[in-house]
Amino acid sequence: MKFLRQTAAVFLVAIFIATLFAGILAPAPYARQFRESPNALPSRIHLLGTDELGRDLFSRLLYGSRVSLLLAPAASLLATIIAALVGGVAGYVGGWIERIALAGTDLSMSLPWLFLLLTVRAVLPLNLPPAASLLITFGLLGFFGWAASARVICAGARGLRNSDFVLQAKACGCSSQRVLLQQVLPNLRPVLYAQFLISIPVFILTEANLGILGLGVSEPLPSWGGLLRGLENWSAVQANPARLAPLVLLFVVVSCFQLVMPQEDFAS
Amino acid sequence: MTQATPLLSLRLSVDYPDKPSVLRNLSLEMYHGETLGLIGQSGSGKSTLALAILRLLHLHRGEPRGEIWFQGRNLVDRSEREMRSVRGRELGLVLQSPLSALNPALRIDTQLEEAWRAHAEGSRDAARKTILETMSSVSLPAERSFLRRYPSQLSVGQAQRVLIALAILHRPALLIADEPTSALDVITQSEILQLFQRLNREFGIAILYISHDLLSVASLCHRIAILYDGEIVECAPPSQIFGAPQHSYTQKLVAALPRGPFLDFHNDKLGSPASIADEDECAERSAKLSPR
Amino acid sequence: MRTHRLALLAAGFLLAALPAKPQSGGELRFVLRSEPKTFDPMLVDEEASETIRYLTGGVLIRVNRKTQALEPELAVSWKVSEGGKKISFRAREGLLFSDGTPFTAEDVAFTMQKLMNPDLHSPTGDSFRSSQGPVRVTTANPRDVTIEFPAPVAGLERLFDQVAVVSSHSPKKEAAVLGPFVVAEYKSGSYVLLKRNPLYWKKDARGRRLPYLDSIRLDIQQNRDLELLRFKRNEIQLINSLDASYFENLAKEAPSAVRDIGPSLDSEQIWFNQVPSAPIPDYKKNWFRSTSFRLAISEAINRDDLCRVVFGSHARPAVGPVSPANLFWFDKSLQPHPYDPQAALRRLQQEGFRLDGHVLNDPGGHAVEFSVVTNAGNKYREQMAAMIQQDLEQIGIRLNIVTLDFPSLIERISRTFDYELCLLGLVNVDLDPSAQMSVWLSSSSNHQWNPEQKSPATSWEAEIDRLMQAQASTNDQNQRKRYFDQVQKIVWEQQPFIYLVNKNALVVISPALANTSPVVLRPQTFWNVETLYFSNQGRGASQ
Repeated sequence: MKFLRQTAAVFLVAIFIATLFAGILAPAPYARQFRESPNALPSRIHLLGTDELGRDLFSRLLYGSRVSLLLAPAASLLATIIAALVGGVAGYVGGWIERIALAGTDLSMSLPWLFLLLTVRAVLPLNLPPAASLLITFGLLGFFGWAASARVICAGARGLRNSDFVLQAKACGCSSQRVLLQQVLPNLRPVLYAQFLISIPVFILTEANLGILGLGVSEPLPSWGGLLRGLENWSAVQANPARLAPLVLLFVVVSCFQLVMPQEDFAS
Repeated sequence: MTQATPLLSLRLSVDYPDKPSVLRNLSLEMYHGETLGLIGQSGSGKSTLALAILRLLHLHRGEPRGEIWFQGRNLVDRSEREMRSVRGRELGLVLQSPLSALNPALRIDTQLEEAWRAHAEGSRDAARKTILETMSSVSLPAERSFLRRYPSQLSVGQAQRVLIALAILHRPALLIADEPTSALDVITQSEILQLFQRLNREFGIAILYISHDLLSVASLCHRIAILYDGEIVECAPPSQIFGAPQHSYTQKLVAALPRGPFLDFHNDKLGSPASIADEDECAERSAKLSPR
Repeated sequence: MRTHRLALLAAGFLLAALPAKPQSGGELRFVLRSEPKTFDPMLVDEEASETIRYLTGGVLIRVNRKTQALEPELAVSWKVSEGGKKISFRAREGLLFSDGTPFTAEDVAFTMQKLMNPDLHSPTGDSFRSSQGPVRVTTANPRDVTIEFPAPVAGLERLFDQVAVVSSHSPKKEAAVLGPFVVAEYKSGSYVLLKRNPLYWKKDARGRRLPYLDSIRLDIQQNRDLELLRFKRNEIQLINSLDASYFENLAKEAPSAVRDIGPSLDSEQIWFNQVPSAPIPDYKKNWFRSTSFRLAISEAINRDDLCRVVFGSHARPAVGPVSPANLFWFDKSLQPHPYDPQAALRRLQQEGFRLDGHVLNDPGGHAVEFSVVTNAGNKYREQMAAMIQQDLEQIGIRLNIVTLDFPSLIERISRTFDYELCLLGLVNVDLDPSAQMSVWLSSSSNHQWNPEQKSPATSWEAEIDRLMQAQASTNDQNQRKRYFDQVQKIVWEQQPFIYLVNKNALVVISPALANTSPVVLRPQTFWNVETLYFSNQGRGASQ
């Protein structure tokens, strides 16, 4: 188990470094179209082959990893923090605050996000640099993606609200805020970790879907989501299985996150 | 001791939304350094009383009415802020199940330090010093490695001592122990009882010892109050409770006690454990303390 | 003896030289991509119903889908007079509707009267309605019928390709047909079964009654992947308008079934927003209204690469509004703007643009950057946009790609005009330029780059208006062609639409089918359905 954890950690660090040095490691600029060799198979020039427009898949994967690996966890962190605040406070305080918070969460989950995002797109200027569209996209994901997590966290906090140790802490004279921060939140840690981890791949995939609304990471900047959309073309995947690389990488990275994250280090 | 005013004097009614009149105009008085046993059957409102004194009953959606005079102040009039400074500093609480009353996600030193910071300011070392002292006063190893443990790494007895340490960290005037031994095995139970007795003697902490077990309080307490149907039906030294119970419920309680060589109260002796003060001394102290 | 043998040999040669004898029978299957909305030939408004009408209806004049010329069908002859106001038909004699009712000029008159009744709201009838007023139909005798419209109708004869004649007194009403097939069964959402019309009038060279096929089963199936799968399983024999990526997929497995029949009528194009009130900066409007700017963009786009990379060479650089597939109307003197970024840059520099480093600046010092909107989910358009993005980068222009859902896109390009460049396709069904009238008239709402103008904003738009009106008001095809060639020329020079590619028409035909001759015009694979048949081998395979 420890070995696995270390391997996973080493692997994650390696990927992070590789994406940070994408500029040096990538054999070609991510947007460069080798128009003479679209849909190329893996070769020494194109390690993973090329996409429909002849862009080097390995380079795109490197840059795409940079985008997704930095921003998806950031968005997930944002979402989890909002969820922890809303859900934690609601569950811990209870009463009408909980009702309002849960109603807000339900409302936020039942909202037709599609249309709201369309409105957002309508409000945004057409000429957005790719980097700005990228930040907006993941910002939106983080900002809107908290509701489901909040419910789970609220349920967890509600369970803790009536626990003896919260009563004990209060009987010791601890203030509500201290109890929430020092007693309740640490107990929600496993839930928070889980929500954080679950959200990462969800956000990566949502980003891909947002592309359909014109909100995702825009061309020519690659992202995992954009690369995964390339898998829609099944015949191309059959011709060049190396196109599955982004999917494999996503799977491996998420698994590594799972392994590296402390599970419940307070349990025996 | 010469104070004429009781440490605690209350008159209290409590309703729950789904269960009205759990406590009905219950009145109780306690004196400095006194150990009072509160006996009642399950569901009779013992824990309700404990929480009501700490003004934490709202957590269980209970609504108290009445007055709670503690150290010359009516706690009912206190703001939440003032109550917070009373809880833990002047009033300590020990709950029934040590494992659930300790936060499973925190190391015990964190929990102790948190309780310390609730009423004290100072460096980590100052906190550590108080914690270590308290640890040894509850007969726990005052070692760093022990403090670094999580509650799940403790035995039940150790956990209960940590809980007591939490409650007496600031040397409260009154310690409310809500069935503190009912989750423990017999041997540990008697050890904890001895600990309470020692705390009472050494630090003069008054103890409101809540239990459903008449026997366990007999050896510890100066007086025993019998809670029945939301009222205190009888409050007297153990000798009187065991020797000449007045109320029919008390009589039933006493009659229901198992009789045997170790547990014959009519011999004015407790069987085991041995080192408990004999009843005469207890009765004498009670008389001395009593303003009556 | 010897002469006998020679004669026998000769006979053998003769037999071999004759085409194989067509086999009668068998059921042809293909899919309808949507539910047919109606079986009434007068109310046809979408492709599935049009397919049924094509297979069952008898028309006076047929546009031969291969030669694109007009051919007599139920009419033996016709004559247009009074500048396209009046048309006279002589009906074929001795024909019977599928229920046995005889066909006469009276049926033609009945059909036209019904079709032109405004209360019917027939889309087919609307195409004849050039102006208000009654349509007069007269039958001099059982053979001759004359139809007189209130005003000349451009391309009048061709419109009759859409008019399936219905019987004036058959009890079965429009279910009695003159076409090769009759509707036998219909299960909503599932299939339409057509049976051979035993009374169909056409015969083959050997004197055998057509059609050869016994029946056609049309399964209703929206999903293109399933359509392809069903073809692979041999459950269907034809696929029209195949997607380029599916084409490549199938080409590997069944190379003999896929056919690229050259450029279709459909085009993909981009256009700049030239609406004066559009909510975009004035300096950008100046770029977009500059002919040189538009020409430079057109020259900077590598159309050959678009065809090759995006469409796997199943497309051809587009010249203008008319595809080379439109044999008569295409202006053969025009060539697509050649890819020449240097020429494009020179053209821009003449206009005062400057290339500073990698950034093109306009005379006012604004960096040239704009966005292209296209509908999300269309892989080809997204890829074309990405390629154009790189092409324009070569001349220092930054292009931002914005994909929008279709309703938002339409909102932007037709109501708010909050866009800069738009990439969309145009589906052409009609060969005749009259069908494009609404695109070219500056007053029209479909005049995409600057719709609903009170008066033409530019002299060349005024000229297009004049030429389009002129071509519509004469019935001399060659004169019309001359007018429309001029329109094509102006569009080529001014590039209000920058045409990118004409996608090729791609179809799939089972090798089991014989006598196939797929064409670009709809219905591509089965336009000659009456002479299609299963070869022996094929029939075995299809069962």
